[in-house]
Amino acid sequence: MKTGTHIVGIDVGGTFTDILCYNAANHVVLSAKVPSVPGNQWRGVLEALHALGIDLGSIIAFVHGTTIATNTVLEQKGAKTGLLTTEGFRDVIEIGLTRRLVGGLFDIKFVRQAPLIDRSLRLEAPERVAADGSVLRDINGFDYSAVAKSLKDADVGAVAICFVNSYKNASNEVKAGEALRKLLPGVPVTESAVLLPEKGEFGRFSTCVLNAYLTPRIVDYLKTLTAALADRGVKAPVSIMTSNGGAMTLERAAATAVSTFLSGPVGGVNGTIRICEMTDTANCITFDMGGTSTDVALIHNRMARTSHDNQHEAFPLAWPQLDIHTIGAGGGSIISAQPDGTLEVGPQSAGAIPGPACYLRGGKLPTISDANLILGRLPSERAISGGLKLSIDAAREAMAKLAAQIGRGKEDVQELAESALRIAVAKMAGAVREVSVHRGHDPRDFVLFGFGGAGPMHLLPVADELFVPRAMIPPMPGHLSAFGQMLADHRRDYVAVWEGAANVAKFSDLEKRIAELRVQAASQLKEDGFAETRQRFSFSIDMRYAGQSFTLSIPWQDTNKSWEPLIAAFLARHEETFGYADATNTVQVTAIRLVALGLVDKIDIAFPLGEGKDVVVEKRPVWFDGEVHDCKVYDRTKMNAGYIFEGPAIVEEPGCTSVIPPKWRVTVLPSSALDCISQRGA
Amino acid sequence: MPRQNARAEKNKDIGVLELVRESLVAVVKEMRANIIHSSYSSIIYEGHDFSCALVSADGRLLAQSLDDNPLHIFAVPHSAREIVRVFSGDIHEGDVFLHNDPYTGGTHLNDVLMLYPVFSGGKLVLFAAARCHWGDVGGSTPGSLSGRVTEILQEGIRIVPTRICEKGKLNEPFLELLFQNMRNPAERRGDFKTMLGTSRKAEQHVQRLLTRFGVEKLLSSIDELMRRSEQVMRERIRACPDGVYYAEGYIESNGNDHEPIVARLKLTIDGDRMIADFTGTAPQTRGPTNVGPSMAPNAVCTIAKAFLDPKTSINHGSFEPIEVIAPVGSFINARWPAPCGGMVEVKALLDSLMVAALGQAMPEMIAGALKGGANHTLIGGNDPKWGSFLFYEYPAGGTGASKDLDGGTVVRAFSDGDFNSVQSIEVVESSLPLRVESYGIRENSCGDGKNRGGFGMRRCIRVLSDSASLSILSDRNVIPPYGVMGGVYGAPNHFVVKRGENLVEPSAHPGKVAGFALSDGDIVVMETAGGGGYGDPLERDPEKVLKDVALGYLSADEAFRRYGVSISPNLRIDLETTRKKREEIRSARVFLSLQLVNTELLEGFKRIVELPRAAATRLSVAEGALVEIVTPDHASPRAWVRIVDGSGDTLRIDAATLALLAAEVGDRVEVRAVRTAAH
Repeated sequence: MKTGTHIVGIDVGGTFTDILCYNAANHVVLSAKVPSVPGNQWRGVLEALHALGIDLGSIIAFVHGTTIATNTVLEQKGAKTGLLTTEGFRDVIEIGLTRRLVGGLFDIKFVRQAPLIDRSLRLEAPERVAADGSVLRDINGFDYSAVAKSLKDADVGAVAICFVNSYKNASNEVKAGEALRKLLPGVPVTESAVLLPEKGEFGRFSTCVLNAYLTPRIVDYLKTLTAALADRGVKAPVSIMTSNGGAMTLERAAATAVSTFLSGPVGGVNGTIRICEMTDTANCITFDMGGTSTDVALIHNRMARTSHDNQHEAFPLAWPQLDIHTIGAGGGSIISAQPDGTLEVGPQSAGAIPGPACYLRGGKLPTISDANLILGRLPSERAISGGLKLSIDAAREAMAKLAAQIGRGKEDVQELAESALRIAVAKMAGAVREVSVHRGHDPRDFVLFGFGGAGPMHLLPVADELFVPRAMIPPMPGHLSAFGQMLADHRRDYVAVWEGAANVAKFSDLEKRIAELRVQAASQLKEDGFAETRQRFSFSIDMRYAGQSFTLSIPWQDTNKSWEPLIAAFLARHEETFGYADATNTVQVTAIRLVALGLVDKIDIAFPLGEGKDVVVEKRPVWFDGEVHDCKVYDRTKMNAGYIFEGPAIVEEPGCTSVIPPKWRVTVLPSSALDCISQRGA
Repeated sequence: MPRQNARAEKNKDIGVLELVRESLVAVVKEMRANIIHSSYSSIIYEGHDFSCALVSADGRLLAQSLDDNPLHIFAVPHSAREIVRVFSGDIHEGDVFLHNDPYTGGTHLNDVLMLYPVFSGGKLVLFAAARCHWGDVGGSTPGSLSGRVTEILQEGIRIVPTRICEKGKLNEPFLELLFQNMRNPAERRGDFKTMLGTSRKAEQHVQRLLTRFGVEKLLSSIDELMRRSEQVMRERIRACPDGVYYAEGYIESNGNDHEPIVARLKLTIDGDRMIADFTGTAPQTRGPTNVGPSMAPNAVCTIAKAFLDPKTSINHGSFEPIEVIAPVGSFINARWPAPCGGMVEVKALLDSLMVAALGQAMPEMIAGALKGGANHTLIGGNDPKWGSFLFYEYPAGGTGASKDLDGGTVVRAFSDGDFNSVQSIEVVESSLPLRVESYGIRENSCGDGKNRGGFGMRRCIRVLSDSASLSILSDRNVIPPYGVMGGVYGAPNHFVVKRGENLVEPSAHPGKVAGFALSDGDIVVMETAGGGGYGDPLERDPEKVLKDVALGYLSADEAFRRYGVSISPNLRIDLETTRKKREEIRSARVFLSLQLVNTELLEGFKRIVELPRAAATRLSVAEGALVEIVTPDHASPRAWVRIVDGSGDTLRIDAATLALLAAEVGDRVEVRAVRTAAH
């Protein structure tokens, strides 16, 4: 009898579906890339599986990153959703705290994004919980029939229940949920504090509404996908990537649809952490650049920061997510002129269609890819992987048009291309600063990891921009997200509001609440199929000075036996983050957070290396900093461990091109990662 | 090859310029994040009522982000110039300055500016500036702002340019004196430390930029960026038709009497220059509705930026082509001891004048007016259980309608920084002896029009303490936000206390309340204005009216009365009844011919029009009533009625009114009664 050995990670992006498959029997890694099928992502998944050419019955684990949630909100294709809320508060989700939330300063024509639920479907219940959790108005005895009728008549596909102060006491929400589930069989119901007992009605309501809105679509997708997979003989359980960087079961994904917004990008963070382990790196910043956007995240001691105060489009999202910062600049970003004659890159993107001018698919505007081609960083004589041959003439022509707009000539296209790249690099450096400097870290203390289709092409210029002395190009940079998914442990995040002054409140009460959370998480991980030996817990405590609003999350140590170590850690973090600390001020605790992991088997992957022969493919002219270099072009697959070369250089491999500017030295590590060290000195 | 090198150098500049711009904005953004995350005043961390900027050594604005509060665009560099003037030649590394004096560039006393000089090689290069609204700076009522003050001393401590840190050594006695004269000194010290920490981090960041670009390169790039911004603004102004445009508006009262206070604007566009002349504006008042010298330029430039160049980042260059004349001693350029707490109210008035005037040159950009200021609402006290507490909100209302667009509902306007103007209900209830009874959209409050203004807000707050008092500083409670292009005014702001079954007016002066004593169980009802409408409401698509009715924003009765659209309970439009009703509304309108009188028609600052008795009867207005003269091509000017005998159909006006209307003698105009209770 044949036992399964394949572990599969599959990442559905906007343009491509990437798949990576690890065979535990022989440690071989297979990869494939097929076009995504918008609207029917599961078809792309099947295509990709098929492209691997393995026996699908031999798959033992299947982890999937999906962009359904993001697309659903973008295309406004979620369920028709009804809201039941506390009497007097049905407009909270429309007017929030009165902010525009997405730009709009000086814009007389600003139009605020409409809420996901029409006002006519926002119904009110006679209930009220006070700030201390006491019930002011019990919902017992409320006749739900009129509410149920309105929702039924409107044919809603989902219901959100959002009551004020439910984070303190969810009993009214839970009762309403039970009642409506009975009256509206088959309609998914989300209760705000059951989903997430976080303080702050607008964030919690908005998160709850998003969840309800997404649920039917996500559930449908998961059903269709699993049926199609079963049909093709896949027996392995399917896990879905969650925005907090872990995997989750299908059941959990169906219950927390809102947790899949970053299902795709978190794979890259996970993959990077694994490469960190393989290369003995502790601190790094990911630089995941695709066609339309770039995702950046900071990894400190092989951990990515989790953020609880997020926003999707104009909708607040209190769900814990890895702190991944996305900017709208990628390989397809369009280069244009601003009114004052300076250049602008993005946010418009040529996407896959019409694409960069050099693709000859109808795009007429110059993009970052065109700039790279003009500068010789992409090949114009040979096809890139995928068989596409780029047209340098089309790229030049598009750039020349832009040159004319700002009063420059055709002879300036080279310089314009370089300027545009410099601006794109500045933007991306800004994104790196966002996750580092703005969070109290100096980017120079971190290794910059470049991956995604366009990441390795811009990685080192970004490093130069930030004076970052070391950067890394992981193996298979075009597939790192799928790789990260393949490795993902299961993860559940918990929050418990716990308010008290440090040193005043009883420490044992804090310990007790921590112990309770641990018991809850342990039992739920067990339900997910993780025995005690595979469970890991890490707690953190949200703390602030009395009078402040924002908190710092301080890691909890089980060795803490009094308030002192917690307070000391808080003071140090405050000083580091905000430039001052004040030992005389009262420190408060506001919440306990828990990350609970269910560990999967570690896989022992070895990326292929070459033999160090025929490594240089050709030489071609490449522009750096206004000068032409006769630049060596390397084939990465031929490089052996310990191979060393220096920039300027171009490195090609299937699915990716890396650009090594002058003053960088690259060493091929045993893991096959390219370790890049700046030679320009401090 | 020298030519190629020169070109390479020039080209590199294109990149470097953008880089410098992005880098400077990055410093400001970092400062912002730092302040939000570590400050103590809820108005800072929740309300984001603060601004950060980089300012040149001579006090010009170098960089701000598009998240910063436009209220501070000019105030910050104005204060900086004042500090530079006072300490000329005596500014050293390690010095730190504070300032909040409205008469020399401040806004109101709560907004405290910290100016932190950045040096390179012993030379002053630029300043990092942060201006934050401190929750309390002393004065007569909790939170320092109130509608009923008579001199600035009642609004808190006035900080003229002051060095609070000399060569690294903090002036602790001064700081202690300062904080001890404010309510909750520990919180104030916290806000101070936040600003100091933020400035230090900004200094480090700027030092990295100086290392990278070099002082000369950085400063010359900044000059070039400013030059380019100026060029853009000049081109945009040149594209506007040359001409002289008039606008006029009122602050309702100074909180001590019922007399409206007028502001007048004559806007000249002449080639690539713009001159905003406020000559004719009323003298400073003994109430809180005054501002210092920085606010008129602030308003003019906010609107010029929004109309002409909304997208590019902000620096001083954009404002070089704009001249502002604000008479010293008028309420828009006041001097000691005029209180200035109501500076947002005054700035909003000046904004609306600019929109009305520049909108005549650029009708595609004109929009209905807004709620008229901050709507400062403060509930504070000293409760045995809760200690000293302060609730402070400044709620948004509806925004104005414009060409092709309805206004926005309960949302920060284009001229506002994007911050929370109300606090989270759950935060309010867990930290204050208050309970929010309801929070939502104020139905029927829109200014009607072909495109309607946005709806205002209704928020009811129950007081759970016997020690609380209420202060309010708000305008547009009597004279509502105007509509444009024939559109109707929005509902005015309205603040009232519900005590049991009774409604109690907390002040004889609507919107201007100082320390009104509240009882346990009282409910403070805050209602904010709807935005002004655009175009004739009778031209509004009945389907759009139906949609507003179906969603409960507008009642069917109001839809019928105001838009003439007849909608049945099962949400169907009766087209025939609608046609008839619209005809009826149209024929009931009062049109009169303009007739010029050769004397000034004014009573105090109030513009007077003389209306024949017959017309007054048709309009159902009495002597002294407020009317507007509907102008189909811009904002409708307001005037008060003097009834003259006769049945003629002339409206007698003076030359200034004629200029405001941009009309000719003999033109027929509609006169509309302003009935604010109708909403």
